[in-house]
Amino acid sequence: MPRNAAEWAERPNLPRTHYVDGRLYTDEVLFREEQEKIFARTWILACHESELPHAGDYRTFSHPAGRNLVLIRGEDGAVRAFYNICPHRGNSLVREPAGNAKALTCIFHAWSFDCRGNCTGIARRKEGFQDRLAARDVGLRSVRTEAGPGGFVWVNVADDGPSLAHYLGDALGALAPRLSEPLEVFHFQKVHVRTNYKLWHDTNSEFYHDFIHYFNRVTGMQQPGYFERRYAPFPNGHVSVGSMRVRYDQYEGGQERIGWPGLEPGGWYLVDLFPGITFNLRTSVLRIDTAIPLGPNEVLIELRGLGLARDTPRERELRVRDHNAIWGPFGRNLHEDFLAVTGQGASLRNASTDTRFLLHGREENATIHDEIGVRHFYAEWSRRMGRSSSDPFAEASAP
Amino acid sequence: MSDAIKELVYRSCLLLDARDFEGFLALCHANFRYTVRAYSPEIRRDMVWLDHDRSGIEALFRTLPRHHSDPSPLTRHVTVYTVTIDEAAARANVVSALQVFRTALDGGATHLFAIGKLYDTVSLDDGVPHLAKREVQLDTRALEIGTHIPL
Repeated sequence: MPRNAAEWAERPNLPRTHYVDGRLYTDEVLFREEQEKIFARTWILACHESELPHAGDYRTFSHPAGRNLVLIRGEDGAVRAFYNICPHRGNSLVREPAGNAKALTCIFHAWSFDCRGNCTGIARRKEGFQDRLAARDVGLRSVRTEAGPGGFVWVNVADDGPSLAHYLGDALGALAPRLSEPLEVFHFQKVHVRTNYKLWHDTNSEFYHDFIHYFNRVTGMQQPGYFERRYAPFPNGHVSVGSMRVRYDQYEGGQERIGWPGLEPGGWYLVDLFPGITFNLRTSVLRIDTAIPLGPNEVLIELRGLGLARDTPRERELRVRDHNAIWGPFGRNLHEDFLAVTGQGASLRNASTDTRFLLHGREENATIHDEIGVRHFYAEWSRRMGRSSSDPFAEASAP
Repeated sequence: MSDAIKELVYRSCLLLDARDFEGFLALCHANFRYTVRAYSPEIRRDMVWLDHDRSGIEALFRTLPRHHSDPSPLTRHVTVYTVTIDEAAARANVVSALQVFRTALDGGATHLFAIGKLYDTVSLDDGVPHLAKREVQLDTRALEIGTHIPL
């Protein structure tokens, strides 16, 4: 039955771990706190090594903690990351999203830097600074950088803290053996969405929403094995989803896919990494999502599609086709997911919309429609934020 | 013939605007192919975002009602720049500028959704122009929440 205002404000009759306070998606204070307590202290996937194949290749990245970074491959083959800021007057060092440079030279006053972040040139230094300032004093701000499974480049803007391997733990265990061959990015898209970043990651963390996807219903939900897919939670808020055999031929115009080394025919593994990165290996294509929050109700999502570096032109064409069928900008599933999260974004655009609680209380023995993935995320969120996700401002009287 | 070719391009956009997909297909050759491409400065590669032969585009249209799609109308504004006719090959190549606008159902606000160019190959078999190939080269890569409808 419908509820009046008082009833609407009542907490759900579920454990506190099974719902979230709507202000997690609208509150500016919580958002700023997330940037510093979570994103500024966490490993974030910045790009793939195939985006920087040669010495001097660089790539920019808008880090979700708010920093603008540039990643550059040195003559020694190592990829390093720095703030994309000239230490002189704060100008952006590079403006194009990718390119190649022997040195990073600021166009403003011609200060230059090498691929290791050393300042190598201050125009007319002696005349202006005499002996008061030397190149060694004005190096770039370096950012911890590590290579992860599959050749992805990760960054962490904090100087200290756990290694990438420690952060990931075994979360990519099911995928790692299938990411041993060199990969290559063939699709890149930035999508600016009016919604909270967590709502996008939530959607990636539960398959109950397959009801929105006709494609997934006929190729997955109605096929054997779907309801046996299981979630496995890992430390640090990560979760993985086991495989099944997807029947692509059940969708009109659908075709069997060419597959992936080490992956069973029709196989599909998915791993959600806290706080907003998803590895999605679906039969013939690897998709990577990186959520970059811009505000409480604003997120930039970087979407990548990858194939094998050794693909023949025909193999690549088939992977691109498979990718685009559901995940491209005209794909069947991606658009539907965006419809869902922008609908949430409209309902949760600020506190006055009075969306009190969102539920993630389904328990089905950790199988595919269990919302354990979302609960696992919010347990980690609460731990890092020092706040309860169901009561972030500690207003309830009893636990 | 040049006017008839231009009218074919304009009519194809009017029919897509109206979501008259059968009408659009009636303008297309039996071997029609439709492709959307874009160049990514981020990964420094050409990308293919949609690529269908005639049966593929027919299946795409047929399955649309089974999917959830943004109902906001898309309106195409096209200007034909060049028409190059090869009479010996019974074919013409047409280059057009494309702008696509999206209009919100609630309130009717219109904004630019995408810009690019149409590279059409027109078959002139039996003197009747049909779309044999349409390549949409997008400049816009931030296509908001995307669309299920070809541009």
